[in-house]
Amino acid sequence: MADRVIVDKIIQALAEYLKRDAGTIKAAHHLRDDLGLDSMAVIELLYKIEETFDLQIPDQDLVGLATVGSVASYVEGRLSPAKPAAKKAPKPTTTKAPTKRKAK
Amino acid sequence: MASRVVITGLGVVSPIGIGVSTFWKSAMAGQSGISTITSFDPFPMDGYRSKIAGQIRNFSAEQHIGSSHGDRVDRYAQFALAASREALSDSGMQMEKESPHRVGVIVGAGMGGMVMGEREITQLYLHQKPHRVHPNFIPVITLNSASGIVAMATGAKGPNFTISTACSSSAHALGQAWYCIRTGQADAVIVVGADASITPLVFAGFCSLRALSSKFNEQPERASRPFDRNRDGFVMGEGAGSLIVESLAHARRRKARIYAELAGYAATSEAYHMVIPREDGEEVATTMRLALKAADVSSSEVDYINAHATSTNIGDAVESKAIRALFKNRADKIAISATKSLVGHTLGAAGAIGAIATTLAIHTGQIHPTANYDDPDPDCRLNGISRDPQEKKIRAALLNAFGFGSNNAAVVLKRFRA
Repeated sequence: MADRVIVDKIIQALAEYLKRDAGTIKAAHHLRDDLGLDSMAVIELLYKIEETFDLQIPDQDLVGLATVGSVASYVEGRLSPAKPAAKKAPKPTTTKAPTKRKAK
Repeated sequence: MASRVVITGLGVVSPIGIGVSTFWKSAMAGQSGISTITSFDPFPMDGYRSKIAGQIRNFSAEQHIGSSHGDRVDRYAQFALAASREALSDSGMQMEKESPHRVGVIVGAGMGGMVMGEREITQLYLHQKPHRVHPNFIPVITLNSASGIVAMATGAKGPNFTISTACSSSAHALGQAWYCIRTGQADAVIVVGADASITPLVFAGFCSLRALSSKFNEQPERASRPFDRNRDGFVMGEGAGSLIVESLAHARRRKARIYAELAGYAATSEAYHMVIPREDGEEVATTMRLALKAADVSSSEVDYINAHATSTNIGDAVESKAIRALFKNRADKIAISATKSLVGHTLGAAGAIGAIATTLAIHTGQIHPTANYDDPDPDCRLNGISRDPQEKKIRAALLNAFGFGSNNAAVVLKRFRA
């Protein structure tokens, strides 16, 4: 489980984006299947997270960022140089990872 | 009875060649026009996730259009001028012999004059000197600047407008030219698609949208790989394509060479999402079906599809699914190629450049390869996609173009038969 402060910040960002009570969002929630974020919404969320934690998230790291918890673990890994983020981010439990899906 | 419409002239400015003959030679060789971006100075490229694009490096306004036109003609409009000049010359149509109000100009552009646009906006915010905003800022960024400039350069006084539907802009321009001629509003239309917005702000915007390929920054020529399993987004390109379209009667009157017939067109909206297509592909299939109906062409006559195929994960899969749904058992017998694998995604120019590749495929029986189709994605599997050139006598062909804003276009071209 990622650092609670990081998880809370991410849940807060999600709550503001989704306009819903932060208490109803759990670390295990899948961004797409449980919270209803489409691929554009995931990109918008990551944009907000990049600002909050002063990070740049490479496109290649998007694979695996499927749940609130996996995003938090990823951020924690990036903020802690001793733990490379790409290796720390857990694999999603579903094949519907929010990879780049813009189309036109 | 509505006029038949034919294509009689072609012109192109592209990352794989300026001029149709160079473009086509490069395309048939499967040559990539994608390279590392070096032109964002003083912006360091470190902050950009993608660092590559289909840039035109050897364009000289003085050489190709006689003058840079100072600050009056932005880069995209310079490309439009060069391409339309070539197309007009190729068609043999002499404007001094034409009734000027019977020749129109329809341009497709997604972004427009962004070179000056970005520069002036930056200067204003940086220095806060509104009186120093360039007097040409408004005329240059007004999205119909290229259609006006092409008319002034050619003397075409007929219908003149610009269509901006993002990445499908010039497919719509071609389709609207078809309507224009069929309904008797013009004898001929100079159709152009143009965009040149590989600029620091626009490029950053596409990076932020995470629409661009970033996996092949070190191997730019491998980055645009439609239908391939390892594709990871589109590669921005720049350029212009121009086609002279005219009524068959007009073409016959002046004994013009006819490349192909522009047979039909459909424009639809998915009314779904700004940047994501419906994953079931039904809307794309419907658009192609409606275009064939408008052209009075049976699906069994389609031998080639110039696919929209931008090299994004979902876009290529949806288009493949739609082709399979529409053509069923015949889907694997249709030759398919992706011009963006060579030049990148030229946005507003993409439809016109794709239409030129389609016209030449019909005219020559040669279909250009789809570059980097090394590991076919099972989600896109269609036997007609090939990384090698194909030879085929084409009866009818479809040109697909889809754009942000949930819009789709399909254009039908066919072999001309008297």
